[in-house]
Amino acid sequence: MRISRNVRYLAVAVLVVLAIASGSDAPASAQAKTITLSMLAGYKEDVLRANLPEFEKKTGIKVVVDAAPFGDLYKKQLLSLSTGGRYDVLFMDEPWIPPLSEFLLPLNERMKTLDTADFIPTTVASGAFQGTQYAVPVDPNVQLLVYRKDLFEQKGLKPPTTWDELLADAKALHDPAKQQYGIAITASSDIQTALYMLLAMWSYGAELVDGGKGSLNSAAGKKGGEVFLELLKYTPPNVKSYNFADVNKAIQLGQAAMAIQWASGAKPMEDKQRSSVAGKLGYAQVPKAVRQTPMRGVWTVGIAKNSANQDAAWQFATWLSGREFGQAAVTFPSATSAIHSPRFSVLKDPATKAALPYADALLVSLQITKERPRLREYADIQENLRVTAGKLTAGELTLEAALKEIDAGTNRILGK
Amino acid sequence: MAAGRAGRWFLLPGLVFLFAIDLVPLAYSCWVSFYNWWLIRPRDIRFVGLANYTRFADDPEFTRAVVVTTLFTVGAVLVEFLAGLALALLFAQPFKFLRPIRVLLLLPLFVVPVVGATMWRVIFHPELGVLNYYLAATGLGPLPWLSDPRLALVSITLVDAWRTIPFMFLVMYAGLEVLPAELFEAAAVDGASAWQSFRHITVPLLTYIMLLAVLIRGMDAFREFDIIFVLTGGGPGTATQTIQILNYRAFGLGHMGEANAIGIVTLIIVAVMCYVLMRAVLRPQAAPS
Repeated sequence: MRISRNVRYLAVAVLVVLAIASGSDAPASAQAKTITLSMLAGYKEDVLRANLPEFEKKTGIKVVVDAAPFGDLYKKQLLSLSTGGRYDVLFMDEPWIPPLSEFLLPLNERMKTLDTADFIPTTVASGAFQGTQYAVPVDPNVQLLVYRKDLFEQKGLKPPTTWDELLADAKALHDPAKQQYGIAITASSDIQTALYMLLAMWSYGAELVDGGKGSLNSAAGKKGGEVFLELLKYTPPNVKSYNFADVNKAIQLGQAAMAIQWASGAKPMEDKQRSSVAGKLGYAQVPKAVRQTPMRGVWTVGIAKNSANQDAAWQFATWLSGREFGQAAVTFPSATSAIHSPRFSVLKDPATKAALPYADALLVSLQITKERPRLREYADIQENLRVTAGKLTAGELTLEAALKEIDAGTNRILGK
Repeated sequence: MAAGRAGRWFLLPGLVFLFAIDLVPLAYSCWVSFYNWWLIRPRDIRFVGLANYTRFADDPEFTRAVVVTTLFTVGAVLVEFLAGLALALLFAQPFKFLRPIRVLLLLPLFVVPVVGATMWRVIFHPELGVLNYYLAATGLGPLPWLSDPRLALVSITLVDAWRTIPFMFLVMYAGLEVLPAELFEAAAVDGASAWQSFRHITVPLLTYIMLLAVLIRGMDAFREFDIIFVLTGGGPGTATQTIQILNYRAFGLGHMGEANAIGIVTLIIVAVMCYVLMRAVLRPQAAPS
């Protein structure tokens, strides 16, 4: 009896050891086929998750998605990469590539395997820094002018092509008594406020950084700033608390006759369930002054330098930037937002044009788009711009003082 | 004697725990604050001594953040203390109908701060918010709760009060419940008014409890982040930009030395604040002549 019990214990022990041994084998093989993706939460995430099973089925690579909201994503990626973190693939906004380049895998050789002729050239440039390609474009974003076709027709107006025309149209369409406002933009401490202001300043010829120094404090910068402040007279009354989503809401509720908005915000405006003006909107390039400078904001995908799964990560990156995913993404019935495609073949496709009324404006704008300064320090420079633009719209600073403060901050960051 | 010595060993787990989770990270944070360490430049970490601290002296943004943080802390703690005390005195009365309400009063305590703040962001929303809807209906609004620089600080203070008045109430109510009834009975027999009983019995006996509540809330309010971040992000302009918002920005941009220096400065300010408050309230009373 005693012997038989010992034998039973021994058998159980052997089984446990075997289970552990086989268990440790299983994760090892699975690990080689599992990659971790740092992803933007919410909008854009839904499109990815819906299409991910197809990639996993096709390649056998499992993708673990770690999603974070926009405000936290860069911080999380920087902290993770700089401390030898766990991400294999990173979904990054293009201004983050210079500061994160230190931790990203150069992709120049791998890029040769892609049909880059199908990519809009400016989108490929968004993943490069100092001659090295660190990321592949996935979702090209650019600022567009959105306008209410019906209201413009009623007033006999044409969509504005210059900032002067934009101001005139905003004034003509501004009727607060009817809760109808000329234009929706932000004037809060949100980053979008700084980017609206920068867009106007760029159009008049100013540069945020020129010759390695802060350069907004110029006649062109001042003129652009004045136009931006003038525009705030024709906005809804609470734009000082607006963010990206509020600009969308103002259009969707039919309150604003125009908006300057990133293309990724346009799709919900055409959602009949959520937008009272779906089908009534027109899309055009942002206004120009001495030049036309629609701001570029391409979402890209890069691979961590220390990733143990670089080949699997590259497979994922090529799939994400590929025609198949691009086509699926642009026609995805998203209720919140959209991933577009950086490929000519997708954006020119009739199915895309049918799904995205703004496809033409997006394609044209992407080809002439202007990039923000490609500097390692850009995240700091943009944060300085955000804070100072917030002070300007809150009335803490005059335009002249704000321009001086932006340049002083930029120079301090650049060590000038 | 031997048993006494052996007893000291029982302190060891507590001391190890204290060092591991408290003092070691604090010392590390202090050490990092003497370096210029930017995460995007991992090969360029330099010792800069007190430079991360001295730059605060010349930085108007930091000075303003200290002022905003102090205003928020004083305002929030004052509102919460007075409201908590008033509610505790009310609920200490022998009214049976108040008992079920007592539980409801505690509900905000159970709401996660970020969730609560998000809820209030919707309530404060200029066009879609319920608050402005009713204010407009009664002719009192709408008000720019989060977009007016002066009102934004008031708004975040009110949300903080909504969340933490129940804590103040709970602490002081517990204190009131254990006060000896005989003293109040004796005072009543001697003809003391309700105010005299409150002034000469309740307040002195409740002083330590009130101090504890104010200290805990004061430290908390000074380090408040979630509510401010969700509601205003520090804006409009720099109207609600507290030290913690600056700290978050510094960490977010990868400036580890600067961010840790802000953390250490916060610790010092909170420690000084507690010391001054305790000295003021607990100073020895002069013996009656």
